[in-house]
Amino acid sequence: MWDNFIWFSLACMLLWIIGVASLYLNKKTAITGNILISAGLALFLAFILLLWRDIGHPPLRTMGETRLWYSFFITLVGFGTWLRWRYKWLVGYSVLVSGVFIAVNLLKPEIHFTNLMPALQSIWFVPHVTVYILSYAMFGAATIASFIAIRELKSKSERLMPLIDNLTYIGLGFLMTGMLLGAIWAKEAWGDYWTWDPKEVWAFITAAVYVIYIHARVQKYPLRVILWILPLAFVMLMITWLGVNYLPAAQGSIHVY
Amino acid sequence: MVGKGKREQKIAIEAVIVAAITVAGLALQVITGGFNREILAFPANLILITAIPVLLILFKGALKHLASGSLSIILISTVAIIALYMGLVPGNSAKSSWPFTLIYLALLINLTASVLMRLRIFKFRKDISFMLNHIGLLILLFSAGPGSADKARYFMRVFEGKVEWRAEKSGGKERAEAVELPIAISLEDFEMDEYPPKLAIIERNTGIALPEKRPFYFEANLNAFATIENRTLTVDSVVYKPGYAPAAFVRVTDIYSDEATEGWVSCGNYFQHFKTLSLDSTYCVAMTSPEPKEFRSKVEAYTQSGKVKNGIIRVNHPMTIGGWKIYQHSYDSARGRDSVWSLFELVYDPWIIPAYIGMIMMIFGAITLFWKGGKS
Repeated sequence: MWDNFIWFSLACMLLWIIGVASLYLNKKTAITGNILISAGLALFLAFILLLWRDIGHPPLRTMGETRLWYSFFITLVGFGTWLRWRYKWLVGYSVLVSGVFIAVNLLKPEIHFTNLMPALQSIWFVPHVTVYILSYAMFGAATIASFIAIRELKSKSERLMPLIDNLTYIGLGFLMTGMLLGAIWAKEAWGDYWTWDPKEVWAFITAAVYVIYIHARVQKYPLRVILWILPLAFVMLMITWLGVNYLPAAQGSIHVY
Repeated sequence: MVGKGKREQKIAIEAVIVAAITVAGLALQVITGGFNREILAFPANLILITAIPVLLILFKGALKHLASGSLSIILISTVAIIALYMGLVPGNSAKSSWPFTLIYLALLINLTASVLMRLRIFKFRKDISFMLNHIGLLILLFSAGPGSADKARYFMRVFEGKVEWRAEKSGGKERAEAVELPIAISLEDFEMDEYPPKLAIIERNTGIALPEKRPFYFEANLNAFATIENRTLTVDSVVYKPGYAPAAFVRVTDIYSDEATEGWVSCGNYFQHFKTLSLDSTYCVAMTSPEPKEFRSKVEAYTQSGKVKNGIIRVNHPMTIGGWKIYQHSYDSARGRDSVWSLFELVYDPWIIPAYIGMIMMIFGAITLFWKGGKS
C-alpha cells in the first residue's frame, strides 16, 4: 500500500493547490475551491483507511504513520478555519505544511512493517494518538498565524489575535484530552497514570508552555512577549513528537517504537 | 488594574520569592540528598491537603497575593524548567528532588488560592470552564503528589500450578527483599499467541536483509510465496510443535537460471539451535523469532480478608481485587510461549478514585475550551 502513497499524495496535493488557487482567483464563488479541497481530503482519508485495512491495525504506530495523519489533519484544520473564520491564507499555509510532511514521508518513510505489540492493543490507542495529532495540527496553524502577527506588531493591528487564541484554546483542549486519555490508558496498561516517562516529560513541557501562553493572555501581557511563546511551544511540541527518540535521556522510554 | 510600573514590581517580587524557594530546595537537596516522599504517607498527606485550603481561608490577607495570576505563570515556568532538566539529563532524579517538591507545593497553594478567590464570585456560565479545569487539576495534583506516598508497587513471579504471596518492591534499582503481601495469586495457566515468524534473505555475515535499502520480510505461513530480487521463495511446510522451535521447509528458485535449493529453516529457541538455508557463499534464508501477539495468565487471586477472584489477566486488562490492581507484566522471554512462569505487577493506590475524578473533570474542562475558544 505504501508504494502507492506517492500517487495518492500527488493527486491530493494537486487538488489542494488548485483548490487554494481557485479560492484566490475566483472572487465570486468559493464553491469550486471548496469542492476541490474536500475531494483532496476525502482522497487522503481514503488512503489512510486503505492502509489501515492493508496492515490490519490502525496506522498510528510508526513515525511515518503519525506524519500521515498530520498531513491530513493540518489541511483539515486549515480548511475548517477557512470555512469558520474566512482566513484564506491559512488554507494555503496548511497545504504547504502538509506538503512538507508528505515529502518527508516520501523521502524517509520510517515505516517498518512490524506487528502490533500487546501493549498497543487497546481501545485507548486510536483516540489517544488521533486527538494528539489533531492538537498538533491546531498548534501548527496557530504557530503560522503567530509568525504573521509578529511581523505585524509594528502596525499595532491585532486582527489575528482572536484566530490565534481560538486555535490555541482548541489545540490545548485536544492536547489535554490526549494527555488524559493517555493517563487513563497508562493506568490500565502500566499500573500508573503518570510516571515521568521521557515522552510524558516533553508532553508536559509542551502543555505547560501553552498554558503559560493562555495565562499570559488573560493577564494581558504585552503582545511582543506573548507572541514568541507560541513558536517556543511549537519547538517543544516537535521535540515531544519527533525528537524524543533521539535524546539520550529517552532511552528506555515506553513510547519509543 | 494596577499601574504598569506596579505590576512589573509585583512580578519581580514574585520571581524573587520563587527563585528563593528553588534555591532553598537546592540547599536541602545538597544537605539531605533528596526528598523522601514516605514522610507524606497517610495521614500526613490528608492533613496537608486539608491544611492548605483551611489556612488560606483563615489568613484572608495572604489569599489575594497567593492567588496571583503572574505567580501562577512564574510557578508553571519553573516546573517546566525542572521538567526540561528531567527531559535532557539522562538518569536524573529531579522528580524526587527538593526543588521540585517545594515548587509543586507552591503550585498547589497558588492553585488552591486561585480557586478559592474565584469561588467567591462564582457564576455558573462564566466560571464553569475555569472550575472544571482548575479544580480537576487540583484534585489530580493532590492525588498524584502527596497521595502517591501511599502507593505501593510490587512484582510477583508465579509458576504454573503454584500459589504465591511473596513479592519484591518494584521501581527500585537494586533487588529488594521479598515481602509477604495481603494478596495471593495461583497461576493455573500461562498462554501466548504469536504472530507467525518471518522469513528473509540475509547477508550471512552482517545479518542485513535483502533488498538492501528496503528489507523484505514475509510471514512463514503454509504456501506463502515471495519474490526477493531475483529469487522466488515458497513455503512448502510449516511445523511448530509445543516445546519446539518453529520450522519452515522453504524452496528457493533462481528466476533466471531456474536453479532450485530447498531445505528447513528455523529461528531456534532456548534449546534448539537456529537453522538457515544457504543460497550461495554470501546469502542465506533465515527466520526471525515469532513476536508475541497476546499473552495471558489464567489465575485465581485471594485476599487476606477472604475475597476470591477468578479470571484472565493480560496486558491492558488488569484484575482488580480488594483495592489492588494486578497487571500482566512479563514472562520468561527466553522460553516465550513455553514459559512456565508469569510475572505480575501489583499496584495499590488508594488515591486512584480522586485522581480519576480530577482527570474526568479536566476532560470536561478541555471540552469547554472548544466552545469557549479564546473569548473570555
